[in-house]
Amino acid sequence: MLFNTIQFLIFLPVVIIFYYLLNPKYRWVLLLSASYYFYMCWKVEYVVLILASTLIDYFAGIQMEKQKTKIKKRFFLILSLLTNLGLLFSFKYFNFFTNNGNFIFENLNIAYQLPELKVLLPVGISFYTFQTLSYSVDVYHGRQKAEKHLGYFALYVSFFPQLVAGPIERFSRLTPQLKTVHKFSKENLINGLRLILFGLFAKMVIADNVSIYVDAIYKDPSIYSSKDILFGVFMYSFQIYCDFFGYSTIAIGTAKILGINLMDNFKTPYLAKNIAEFWQRWHISLSSWFRDYVYLPLGGNRVKWQRWLINILIVFTVSGIWHGANWTFVFWGCLFGVIYIIEKTFNKLFRINQPNNTFSIINVILTIKTFVLVSLIWIFFRSENIEQSFQIFKLIATNTEIETALNVKLSVFLFLGLFILIDIFLYNTRFDYWCNKQHFIVRWILYFVLIFSIIAFSGVEDFQFIYFQF
Amino acid sequence: MKQMKNILLKIFVLAIFVFAMNYIYEKWFYEKGLQEYSDIINLVRKVQNNSDIIYIAESSNYSTRANDTDKRAISEFISEYYPNKRLGTIHKGALHAGNYKILLEQIPEDSDVETIIVTLNMRSFDAAWIYSNLETALQKSMVLLKPYPALFNRFLLSFKGYDVKTDKEREVQFKRKWEKDKLIIPQGLEYKNVIEWDKTMAREGIKNIDGTINYKTTALACHYIKTYAFQIDINNNPRIKDFDAIVKLAEKRNWNLVFNLMAENLEKAEELVGDNLVYLINENRKLLIERYTNMGVLVVDNVDNISDNQFTDQHWTTEHYAENGRKIIARNVADSLKGIYPTEYFKVKDTLQMASCEFFHDCENKSAWKQMNTITKEQAYSGEKSSKTGQGDNYSITFEWPIVFIPDSMLKTIEINLKILQKEINHDVMLVIDASGYKIENFLHEVPVSELSDGNNTWENINYKYNLPEEIKKGSLLKVYIYNPTKSIVYIDDLKIKFYPN
Repeated sequence: MLFNTIQFLIFLPVVIIFYYLLNPKYRWVLLLSASYYFYMCWKVEYVVLILASTLIDYFAGIQMEKQKTKIKKRFFLILSLLTNLGLLFSFKYFNFFTNNGNFIFENLNIAYQLPELKVLLPVGISFYTFQTLSYSVDVYHGRQKAEKHLGYFALYVSFFPQLVAGPIERFSRLTPQLKTVHKFSKENLINGLRLILFGLFAKMVIADNVSIYVDAIYKDPSIYSSKDILFGVFMYSFQIYCDFFGYSTIAIGTAKILGINLMDNFKTPYLAKNIAEFWQRWHISLSSWFRDYVYLPLGGNRVKWQRWLINILIVFTVSGIWHGANWTFVFWGCLFGVIYIIEKTFNKLFRINQPNNTFSIINVILTIKTFVLVSLIWIFFRSENIEQSFQIFKLIATNTEIETALNVKLSVFLFLGLFILIDIFLYNTRFDYWCNKQHFIVRWILYFVLIFSIIAFSGVEDFQFIYFQF
Repeated sequence: MKQMKNILLKIFVLAIFVFAMNYIYEKWFYEKGLQEYSDIINLVRKVQNNSDIIYIAESSNYSTRANDTDKRAISEFISEYYPNKRLGTIHKGALHAGNYKILLEQIPEDSDVETIIVTLNMRSFDAAWIYSNLETALQKSMVLLKPYPALFNRFLLSFKGYDVKTDKEREVQFKRKWEKDKLIIPQGLEYKNVIEWDKTMAREGIKNIDGTINYKTTALACHYIKTYAFQIDINNNPRIKDFDAIVKLAEKRNWNLVFNLMAENLEKAEELVGDNLVYLINENRKLLIERYTNMGVLVVDNVDNISDNQFTDQHWTTEHYAENGRKIIARNVADSLKGIYPTEYFKVKDTLQMASCEFFHDCENKSAWKQMNTITKEQAYSGEKSSKTGQGDNYSITFEWPIVFIPDSMLKTIEINLKILQKEINHDVMLVIDASGYKIENFLHEVPVSELSDGNNTWENINYKYNLPEEIKKGSLLKVYIYNPTKSIVYIDDLKIKFYPN
């Protein structure tokens, strides 16, 4: 079920009403049923995967806690890791490996073909497997007590607002909130609705409208002028941001109405002054996951410089692979790692201190530099393959003679302008809090504009949320 | 009390909000949205105020064959018969009754429209069309035309308030339907469902002469099974509901309603798959005619009126007809409309190619007779060429013509006149009159050429008259040719065929 459908607009109020009417003791049953229904709207069969992941991690968690020796605990940790990573590998990476294997065989003249799996990627598999993995690792290290209540554990894995595209929540943050008795709060309702409204605006009015132009350019970049291609490249930055930010914001708003605070996943990332800051502001739940479960176990920055370099490259490369089974994602991750290292080294060597004022001229220049860099790196993320990525770079330089062919609607620029303006206002705050501080007339004018634009100017193509494919 | 007032005030403000938004949208943005997402409305607008009759159809109306001399649509041919009536057309590929209904609802109540002719396409009742991958786009193009406030329609469009499914999901739907539906035939069907029928056909295949499977023809046969092997369930088939709704709409608007049941390629169905498939088609045909005739609709039955060679898509199932096919359907509709407009009917000069009942081929030009590969320059009675048979080329240049194109009154006697050159008398060389079609057993009338000529190695004239039997009218295709299975060469030239009353 997509957030931007009538189906969800009916589903959500029904869940909310029953949630607050129901005896709090049984709310988990409602939320769990709703979550499974929500997931099964995509493909009923794939609920088996969530169930398998849930049961094995639940069982492994309890067993890990029971065991007294590290070795026995490790056995159950490995069981959990194998299950989750095995699922991920089978459904997401198997064909990537076999295709590359077959390519190597072909080049070595070995007459052998590895088989291909003809399965659809289960929606959200990368998200819920990472969520359960973090639980198992935390229980193994004793940072988290094992959950005894299967229902709550299952709900932690499948909580519908963040099930398919995050934020990737930690057990210690989400489950206590799921167990808390929440009373209906008008404030939560209003703030939640504000977030949903702004999330829908970002997804439906910006991302879905911009994607038409981006898709056209990436379909056959050779027929477009340099200007058009550059336009497409920068528009993709907004498309992916608005798409994913929109999803996260709707998820956070939905949970908020139920009294549950999900972690913020984005904090105006395109206002970051360098790549390091960008990753502190972009997909925060994933960045922090990699920090806690990959970077720090590798030694973090408390290692020799050469080892730190390797750690950084590993984290970014793995992050790239997490996004998708394609060399473009690997390249994308590596590139971010390399630029991260260059920037860090440059800042260290020249001891550059950035002014505190975010909107000082130097910071504005740095912000623009970071945005341009990130946008160019997104080319690898969006391209079908590495060849296309390089082709786009080449065409930007060579297609200067071709006439501009893109005919972009004025409304796209207007709404994008409005979004950028609001995003600047939201620097280090959130839309619901920001609304609270505005005069009631400003607030209501904004509501009017957002609602009207969502209804009257949404893109009408059936674009799914980009991060569903991960 | 104060709280109540507060709530009421908020509801009031909200209502104003909604009305204001709807007003703004309708006034400044709705038309732009219509042009962007539902431009089919322009067709309705074009005809709604200047038509007495509206013809609404999918691509069957306008599809043509490259060599048609007259490429007009069926609706344009119909309008010739009623010159004093203004006939407007609304057509777009893949439209079906669900769309027709929405489009017809757009016609203002005070318009001049008196009669609606709706294309009744039997194939549109099949699961493959109902759950077609074109459906999402079609549904989307209709959302803004729904009879709700403009802003609400746009809301439905934005929030996917229509039947949105991926191609994969659609495929699951129609395959499930094929699997579920049982096919009931009096003599019993050996297959459990369409899937099984299709699989058996694919496995066993249609064989070439040498016993190998002809994959192209087999694929077409499978396609015919998947397209036509269904029995309309009047309680659950969505198209029935759509056509019923059109009947109700017509009653409400006081329109004369005509359902134009389109021709299907029964010859191919019979040839590729067999009687069972033709039986199912005819059952559905009967059901539709009975149901809608009982509901007061004038149903024009064209199902078996068009012969195979008039279907433009020979490797797919469509209702796309060549010039004569479109003209025949137009004539049938026009004839049926006489009941509504008895005094307005104008007898159009029969422009079908069948108007000519004399045919001639001198083996020189490229007019499309069959077996043109037998044309040679070795001998000729007139010009430079003739048709050569024998030594493996068994069939001479062949006259082949749809029987439906020959008026019944002329289909009494055939006179064949040709020039023949043969070195010797050979009793196995035959002049053949051949009629085929799914309604008759193959009809063959053979006359040994030796009875008609001397075979003295000079060009001779053969003249042969034959009284055609009554049953030939049930056939679809008539062929005339010389059959020469011998090793001796026979040339023919200047073949003339004439039909006339007794």
